[in-house]
Amino acid sequence: MLSAIREVQIPLLAAMLLGGCGAKAIRVLRTREIRAGPGPTGLFPLRLRRPFAMGMCATEFGLGVALLLTAGRAGAGLPATLVRAGTAVLFLIAVGALVELRERRPDAGCGCFGELSVTPVGVRTIARAALLAAAALATIGQPPLRMAVSASEAELWIGLLTVEILVFAALSPEIGEAMSRLGYSEPCEVRLISVQRTLAALGGSAQWRRYAPVVTSAAPVDIWREGCWRYLLYAGEAGSRSVDVVFAVYLRPRRPQIRAAVLDAFTDEILTESPGCPLAVPEPLAAHGLAAEPSRFRRQPEPDVAGPLSGQQATDVPHPLDVTRHRAVSRPLAGLAAPPRGKALARQAGQHGSAPF
Amino acid sequence: MQSHGGQVRGVHDHSPSVDDRTDAITPARYARRRLLKSALFGEADGREPMSSARSPGALNSGVTHAVTGTVLDVSPHLLVLQTAAGEERLTLAASTTAWRCGVVAPTALRQGDRAIVKRNYARIAVADRIWAEIGRVTGTIVEREAGTLLVDEGTEKGRKILVIPPHATGRIQVRFPRLQPGYLIDVIGLRRPGFVEGLIPATSQPPYRADQPPSPPMVSGHIPGSISGTATWHEPGEEPDDLLGVAYPALDPETGCEGCARPGDSALSPDGDCASGGRHTRGHTRGHARGPAGGRVTGIYGEGPYVAAAAGHHAARYAGDFRSAERYAVDPHQAGPGCVRLPYLSLGSVLRIRNDCAQRARELPVTACGAAARLFCDRCVTCGTSPRGRVADLTISAFVDLGGELDRGCFNATITIGG
Repeated sequence: MLSAIREVQIPLLAAMLLGGCGAKAIRVLRTREIRAGPGPTGLFPLRLRRPFAMGMCATEFGLGVALLLTAGRAGAGLPATLVRAGTAVLFLIAVGALVELRERRPDAGCGCFGELSVTPVGVRTIARAALLAAAALATIGQPPLRMAVSASEAELWIGLLTVEILVFAALSPEIGEAMSRLGYSEPCEVRLISVQRTLAALGGSAQWRRYAPVVTSAAPVDIWREGCWRYLLYAGEAGSRSVDVVFAVYLRPRRPQIRAAVLDAFTDEILTESPGCPLAVPEPLAAHGLAAEPSRFRRQPEPDVAGPLSGQQATDVPHPLDVTRHRAVSRPLAGLAAPPRGKALARQAGQHGSAPF
Repeated sequence: MQSHGGQVRGVHDHSPSVDDRTDAITPARYARRRLLKSALFGEADGREPMSSARSPGALNSGVTHAVTGTVLDVSPHLLVLQTAAGEERLTLAASTTAWRCGVVAPTALRQGDRAIVKRNYARIAVADRIWAEIGRVTGTIVEREAGTLLVDEGTEKGRKILVIPPHATGRIQVRFPRLQPGYLIDVIGLRRPGFVEGLIPATSQPPYRADQPPSPPMVSGHIPGSISGTATWHEPGEEPDDLLGVAYPALDPETGCEGCARPGDSALSPDGDCASGGRHTRGHTRGHARGPAGGRVTGIYGEGPYVAAAAGHHAARYAGDFRSAERYAVDPHQAGPGCVRLPYLSLGSVLRIRNDCAQRARELPVTACGAAARLFCDRCVTCGTSPRGRVADLTISAFVDLGGELDRGCFNATITIGG
């Protein structure tokens, strides 16, 4: 029984070391920052953090690979003993470092598995490191690994391995963190979705096809975001009338909701229907088939809530000769193309379906 | 400080001219966004109208209760200020208190002092509180020599020199035990030519290094409409002194202030400014000068960066040590979202900010990028203990207008997105 327990330690230790190194590497690749890593790295002066983090990862990788290479007959003897003793020393040092980290930085995670190890160091984490150290010590002097000679022996090994994995899982706060992340979907208010994706979504929408004939600017003249919505403003012309076409795109990866409105560029008269508002359809827009029943609707200026902006005609209805305003509308944002029209639009729709992403 | 200037300036994978974009950005455009939004969603935008605000506090009374200006004259009964709008005379009551290096009588103010006054809410011509030459340094310590610290305030604000006099050292070190490079500091003090003389700790020092702020908790569903935390204030920098606005910690990375790399990064142009293309912030240069390695030191009231030498501080040393200081500088944009989840907004977005201590609320526009506030996962204890995290970094006038005490540094606040 004791021999069987020793048999299963080497693959388990190697898996833990390589998994730890891999998780750390993934964190570095994601954040592109080595020295900001959590765990005992934070106990070192800033200038030593990078070399320490790199050395730690390299050591884990080296020992993990070496454990596997020396597990069989090829590395038996002194090399296997050295590697296993080194692994035991590493985990013993880890126990000491975790105790120290818990004392000095009680809010810090151990960083053992990169971003998953953010739970403050507790008894479980320290016990896990101690158990791994004990496992590594148990492997010293272990004969080379071999295949099971009988089904019952294989079952025993598998059973022991399963029990040990369950024990380590119970001692690993990372499991809970990983499960949370697997089922987690970021709220749309903090979701990062690029402007390009928003433009692509807009380009494939019925709202864009409906209002594209009015749009004259090659790119949005203004883009902004508030929570789950990104807004895009285009300059346009309906007949001889300058208009602004504003789109709101809901920031979700698939089939985003899109709203649109057309306003007179100078008077801010709303020329299309909006929720709860009657429809205002001037002659030029009706010619484009963009509205149904004509009625005059003049939106009143908003109450002055913009504080300092109000001092600079923040909420006044812009005057047609307002040079500042005119410039703002007439200058599209460089580098941002309008969603494709016509054939290009059809081609894009064919490539991406109705939701381009 | 990025201010009214960078809303749509940076988008990935494009190399637009900065001027092409920023020239078109005007406060009028920001204000018009609200009109455009209401055209899309209807008048109330699905939110409660402001008249139904639950808070009993004052709300956009139309009168600003903060006055900023230069002291022209002060007598036991009258304070005369030169403001941007002209001369302003304020009556001094018996209860009026002033701050200059500490609480003093109003007559201790000096001609030429830059002062900010909180009016009495009931009698608007009466000054309630006066702060003269008050300054603040908030950021990461990147260099220290005895009692002189070089503090990096983030990519938008540059760097400031903080001098802690011996008589204030004990008081500050009680709250900021680690005055070492790499740690955060937030100190209020007296503005001097070229530096700030630190006198009062504005908060308690977070235990972590600046580059390791805690991660925010994961949020299921939507971000709540109202978020509580700490509201702080910042010096005007390049903003007008009387600007009522807020530097918001979570501007949309696609169209906001995110991504200006540290001086010395490859993304920067040779002169250390943010290169055009990619996400970037155009560094304003008024009142700033650059260090040899691209570091930028913010002068106070436009003073040069190295005038600390005139005050007996070895500013020349800082010139030589900028390169080593880079090691400790933290780009707040790279440090994660901070410890409170805030929805992404843009410049010009409107927030309703309530001072939970004074029970006053006001709608304020986002006027600047406040990413540096993300580094501070602290609490305000002005009235009770606030939840962790800074939710708003107000302009000095907005802070006072909302009833904040500048020398306390913060108030417990609740923000509501969209007003």
